Amino acid sequence: MDFNLTEEHKLIRANVREFCEKFVDPIAEQTDAEPKFPMETVKKLAEQDLLGIPYPTEYGGAGSDYLSYIIVIEELSRACATTGFTLEVHSSLASFPLFKFGTEEQKKKYLVPLCKGEMLGAFALTEPGAGTDAGAASTVAVKDGDHYVLNGSKIFISNAPVAGVIIAFALTDKSKGTKGLSAFIVPQGTPGLIIGKHLNKMGIRGSLTSEVLFKDCRVPAENLLGQENQGFKIAMMTLDGGRIGIAAQALGIAQAALDESIHYSKERVQFGKPIAALQAIQWMIANMATEIEASRFLTYKAAWNYDQGLPYSKEAAMAKLFASETAARQTNRAVQVHGGIGFIKGHKVERLYRDAKITEIYEGTSEVMRMVISGSVLR
Amino acid sequence: MLKTIACFKWVIDDADIRIDAGTRKLVLDRAGYKISAYDRNAIEEAVLLQEKHGGTVCAVTVAPSSAKACLKDALSRGPDNACYINDPSFADLAPAQTVSILAAGIKAGIEFDLIICGEGSGDLYTQQVGPALAETLGIPCITYVNKLTYSESDRRITAERKLEDGIEVVSAALPALVTILPDINTPRIPTLKQVLGAAKKPALNVTLDSLGPAGDPCLKTVGIQAAVMDRKKIRFAADAEGIRAAVGALLKEVAIA
Ligand SMILES: Cc1cc2nc3c(=O)[nH]c(=O)nc-3n(C[C@H](O)[C@H](O)[C@H](O)COP(=O)(O)OP(=O)(O)OC[C@H]3O[C@@H](n4cnc5c(N)ncnc54)[C@H](O)[C@@H]3O)c2cc1C
Repeated sequence: MDFNLTEEHKLIRANVREFCEKFVDPIAEQTDAEPKFPMETVKKLAEQDLLGIPYPTEYGGAGSDYLSYIIVIEELSRACATTGFTLEVHSSLASFPLFKFGTEEQKKKYLVPLCKGEMLGAFALTEPGAGTDAGAASTVAVKDGDHYVLNGSKIFISNAPVAGVIIAFALTDKSKGTKGLSAFIVPQGTPGLIIGKHLNKMGIRGSLTSEVLFKDCRVPAENLLGQENQGFKIAMMTLDGGRIGIAAQALGIAQAALDESIHYSKERVQFGKPIAALQAIQWMIANMATEIEASRFLTYKAAWNYDQGLPYSKEAAMAKLFASETAARQTNRAVQVHGGIGFIKGHKVERLYRDAKITEIYEGTSEVMRMVISGSVLR
Repeated sequence: MLKTIACFKWVIDDADIRIDAGTRKLVLDRAGYKISAYDRNAIEEAVLLQEKHGGTVCAVTVAPSSAKACLKDALSRGPDNACYINDPSFADLAPAQTVSILAAGIKAGIEFDLIICGEGSGDLYTQQVGPALAETLGIPCITYVNKLTYSESDRRITAERKLEDGIEVVSAALPALVTILPDINTPRIPTLKQVLGAAKKPALNVTLDSLGPAGDPCLKTVGIQAAVMDRKKIRFAADAEGIRAAVGALLKEVAIA
């Protein structure tokens, strides 16, 4: 057993930290407050080879491992949760299904530019009537000659307005529910693909989340990803890996909450001494540090399983469940440590508190994580 | 073909240093290491010259044998190869020892036209290694450099030296050594592919037995204690009267003029 990160992992972390100090920290508040999508940062991430971290170099990736990718999301999210999440949607939700299920042609055409950062990707599964229950989808894809015609609407689709390509799910067999779902590669600009309303969010406000509508949207048959009716499996496998990414996002948010709390509690003086000298504060800090360390181990272990080619679905669910709930608890404590100032805009913990919540919801809610975990351990 | 050596030192990351409140001793048990700040500028400058004029860059360090991680860090920043002059005893070397080891290592087998060092290291900042190394190798030395150019036609370097009372421009024929200031460039953050590629670059392992003894230190560190900077914690009101009082106090202490 070896708990050491490799020299490469340590360098990657140090380099991303430096990247964040230089390019992410200075705009994180503005990204949230305006809110503003961090497009400049995305371009710089591409220059650093960080938009296709775990994918082979022949597909434009960096040829690194999943743990590297996880460390990068953690560090980015520590500075700005929007930025960490943008990378996660791009690399996990959009690129993974292409890598795993795409044909050679599809990989060349879409995975390569995604990994090189020539375009961003999005993933459209959720619908107004089909969230956790993906099988209740009503978006349909009807074969018409050498095309599929998509009709329906998606909601809460991250990166959609800035994505060059969207991996979209639609029913090819309405009678079969989840077993009738298929995945399609829909390039931006396809007639009938309409990016709808932008949603105004509580947290990760710089991230773009929109409706996506398909109105007689004709997609070439060659853009079917995997087999017909294989969509549910593609979505679930994609989300399994994505959950490790969300765990890393939560971990970064929680770590930032701890960093801020340590710093503030040493500076803030009440009753003639720093509040860090009060046991009430010390215990909060101790709980934060311990739960964050546990989240980190679960998250890295899930990534390690992925890298070793071992099953990781249960591990990913555990990591996401624990890390996201940890982030929510720790950001709450961090505001508490800060007192009134923690409730005021412009203070990082106020943002962290809002950013943490979503990690308990997307890519499977905490309830779904418990279903996955119990399903696995009660088997 | 310009053959450049960039010297670098692997130092404790000052951000990780903790102070024991009671004894004022430095607590280093969880400290990480990094390439000394100005040495990153040295490596960057060597790589910039290579991008412009071709040639090779070798990153050279004298370090304890536990510092092997420094190689990937240095190589990820662009040099073609590295030279790792190491021995378990190479912790806390005095500058004169570092110089004699470096000089012996370089003479033993690294060809060069130009050597670039940081002006001083992030830990000791003695500013001795660069000039003394030039002296030992019998080549000219230019210190306090904040701009450097190389002319291929006459194989000379021209350097701007940032001195207290102005800028001095000097030029020297190669081979030569320069020590540089951090304003000279902004070191790039290595890309992920550069980090992953570092392991594939050659690193020459040079040990003490192949160089001969390093000599005794003429300086020995017998103890280190943190300086205490107690804040005075004087409170001034935020009104006009208070601000006048605060400015008056600062003037009196000659903190402002
Ligand atoms: C900011 C943001 C970004 C998003 N990005 C994307 C994206 O890029 N692509 C995409 O496809 N989707 C995206 N989503 C959608 C997200 O994944 C869903 O919101 C999430 O899966 C929950 O679905 P829902 O909102 O419909 O909630 P519902 O499914 O309606 O759930 C409501 C509540 O009921 C619980 N519940 C539901 N079913 C069960 C059950 N069987 N057992 C126990 N409890 C249950 C849930 O846990 C939850 O507490 C995003 C959402 C947000 C808010």
